[in-house]
Amino acid sequence: MASLRTTSRLFAASRPLFRPASFARSYATVEAKSIDPAASENPSMKTFKVYRWNPDTPSEKPTMQSYQLDLNKTGPMMLDALIRIKNEIDPTLTFRRSCREGICGSCAMNIDGVNTLACLCRIPTDTAQESRIYPLPHTYVVKDLIPDLTLFYKQYKSIKPYLQRDTPTADGLENRQSPEDRKKLDGLYECILCACCSTSCPSYWWNSEEYLGPAILLQSYRWLVDSRDEKTAERKAALDNSMSVYRCHTILNCTRTCPKGLNPGRAIAETKKMLAA
Amino acid sequence: MASFARPSLLRQALATSRSPLLRQNVGVSQVVAFHASARKQILPPEPQSIQGTMNDPVPVPAPHPVEGSYHWTFESAKKCVFRAVCVGLIPLSIAPFAAGSLNPVMDAILCSLLVAHSHIGFQAAIIDYFRPQRVPKFNALCNWLLRAFTLTTAVGLYEFETNDVGITEALRRIWNA
Amino acid sequence: MFSQKVAQQSLRRLAVQQPLTMQWSMMRASPAAVALGQSMQKRPVTSSPNTEDPAQILVKQRLNRPVSPHLTIYRPQIGWIGSSLHRITGVALSGTLYLWATAYLASPALGWHLESASMVAAMGALPVAAKVLIKATMALPFTYHSMNGLRHLMWDLGRGLSNPTIIKSGWTVVGLSVTSALALAFL
Repeated sequence: MASLRTTSRLFAASRPLFRPASFARSYATVEAKSIDPAASENPSMKTFKVYRWNPDTPSEKPTMQSYQLDLNKTGPMMLDALIRIKNEIDPTLTFRRSCREGICGSCAMNIDGVNTLACLCRIPTDTAQESRIYPLPHTYVVKDLIPDLTLFYKQYKSIKPYLQRDTPTADGLENRQSPEDRKKLDGLYECILCACCSTSCPSYWWNSEEYLGPAILLQSYRWLVDSRDEKTAERKAALDNSMSVYRCHTILNCTRTCPKGLNPGRAIAETKKMLAA
Repeated sequence: MASFARPSLLRQALATSRSPLLRQNVGVSQVVAFHASARKQILPPEPQSIQGTMNDPVPVPAPHPVEGSYHWTFESAKKCVFRAVCVGLIPLSIAPFAAGSLNPVMDAILCSLLVAHSHIGFQAAIIDYFRPQRVPKFNALCNWLLRAFTLTTAVGLYEFETNDVGITEALRRIWNA
Repeated sequence: MFSQKVAQQSLRRLAVQQPLTMQWSMMRASPAAVALGQSMQKRPVTSSPNTEDPAQILVKQRLNRPVSPHLTIYRPQIGWIGSSLHRITGVALSGTLYLWATAYLASPALGWHLESASMVAAMGALPVAAKVLIKATMALPFTYHSMNGLRHLMWDLGRGLSNPTIIKSGWTVVGLSVTSALALAFL
C-alpha cells in the first residue's frame, strides 16, 4: 500500500488535471490490477459481521449485519475494510476514524473479540473465518460502532491531568527534570486515550461509574511520578478509597489489549505501591 | 441462532428479498438479530445517565484509607502470611506419614486467616457486583449477611478446634479414609 | 409531489366553480398589484418555537441507548478467564467453609452429624472411584486458587507484569494446579 502511494505521488504531475469520476478511488480501495492481474478473476471474499444499531429506530434491537469484500481490492487494515464498506456497499454504516495511523484513537473498537484500533489491526487473510466487529464492550452505543465516551472524559478530567506546582522555577524559564526522572514518563505519555484498555476491563464493565479504569489510572500515574508535579499528596488522597483504584483485581486485560503496547496494569500496580507506602 | 445453520445460498436469497433499499446488493448478505446478552440478566445495566455537563469532571470520592490503601496493604501482608502458612501446612496435613496432629497454635492461625481472607474476598465480590451506589439496600443486606456468616463460621471453627480434632487433622483423616 | 398535485387540483376546481373569484385573485397577485403594494404576503403557517431545553434532547437520547456486548463477545484469553476462575474458586472454597462451619455450629440443634468421626466414616464407606473424584473436586479449586494467589502476590510486588510473562505464568498455574490436584486426589 505504502509503495503504491509513493509511486502515485511521483506520477501525480503527469496525470491529467481532470479525471473522469469513474477513475477516482478511495484510499481504502486498491486497484486490483496494480497488485495482481489475476486478482479480479479469483477474488478472495471475506465476510465481515458488523454490529448495527440505529438511534432513529430506538425500539429495534441491535443487529449483526454481514458484508462481503474482496480482500484483493481492499487495503490491508480493518479500517480500510470499514471505509470500503461505507463507500461502496452501505453508506449508513457509522464509525469514528481520523488519522488512520494509530495516533488519534478514534477508531477504537472490538475486532474479533479484542479491543484495538481498526487502523492498526490487519485483516486476517483467512477468508474462511469471518471477522466480527463490535463497538467497545459495555459502552452505551450512540450509533453502530460509536460508543459514548462522555463518562470516560469526565473521569479523565477528575484526575487533573495537568502539571500542578506552586513554587516558581529556579531559572524562571523552565521546569527542569533529570534524564532519569524523564525516563519514568516513558510508556506513560504515549497513551492516546483510545479507551481500548478501560473497556476491556471487566471491573470497569461492572463499576464504570466509580472505578476510574486502566486508561485514566495510567494517566493518573503519569502525573504521580512526574518529578515536576508538587501535588502528589493530593493526587494520592483522591485515589485512596475503595472504588477509584482498588476495584482493579489485576485481571490485566488492559495490558493484553493496549494497541500502543503500553502497560496500564503495571502503572496501576505501581500506583497501589505508592499509595501503600 | 437458527439462521447460523442455514445454507449460505438461502441466506443470500433471503437478504436480497429483505433489503430492497440497497441498490447494490453485492456485499450485504444477511442481517441477524443480535443476542449476545443472556435473556434474564441478574443486574442489567441501567439506562445511560450522565451527571452534570460533559465538561464537569466526575466527583472525586473523599479519601478513605481504611477501605483503600490500608486495606490493600493488609490484604497483601495477609496474603504473604497466609501463603506461608498454607505452603507449610499442605505437606503436614495431607502427607500420610505425618504423625500426630498439628500444633493447635498453627491450626488457630490458619483458621483465623481463613476466616479473614474469606471475609475480605466476599466483601470484594459484593462491592464488585452489588456496589452501594447502585443498590444501596441490597448492598447493606449482603454486608450484614456476610458479617453474620463470618461470625457463625468463626464460632463454628472455634467449636471444631476445641471439641473435635481440628481442621487440619480432620482433613488428613478424611483424605486417608 | 403530492402536495403540488393537491394544490393544482384545488386551483382547477376553484377556476371551474367560481371563475370570478379566480380572476380577482389572479389580478391581486399580478406583478402590477405587487408593485403597488396591494398585495401583502401572508404566511398562514408559523414555525413552532422550540421550547424544549436542548440539553434534555441528549438526555432523552441517552436513555434509549443499548449497552454494547461485552463478556459474551470478548475473546477468551488466559488472563481474564484465569482471573474469573480465581474468583469462582475462591467463592466456592470460602462458601463451602462458611456453610460447613455454620452447619457444624447448628448441628447439635438440628441433629446433624458433621463431626470428624462421622465424616471420615462416610468418606470411608465410598468406593475408590468416588473417593478420588471427591478429592479431585475438592483439591483442584484449592490448588488453583492458591497458586494463582502466588501470581497475584508477585503482581502486587510489581513483578511479572509484562505481556508474555502474564500469559506464561497463567498457563503454568493451570498446569501446576491440575497436576498437583491429581496428585492429591490419588494420595
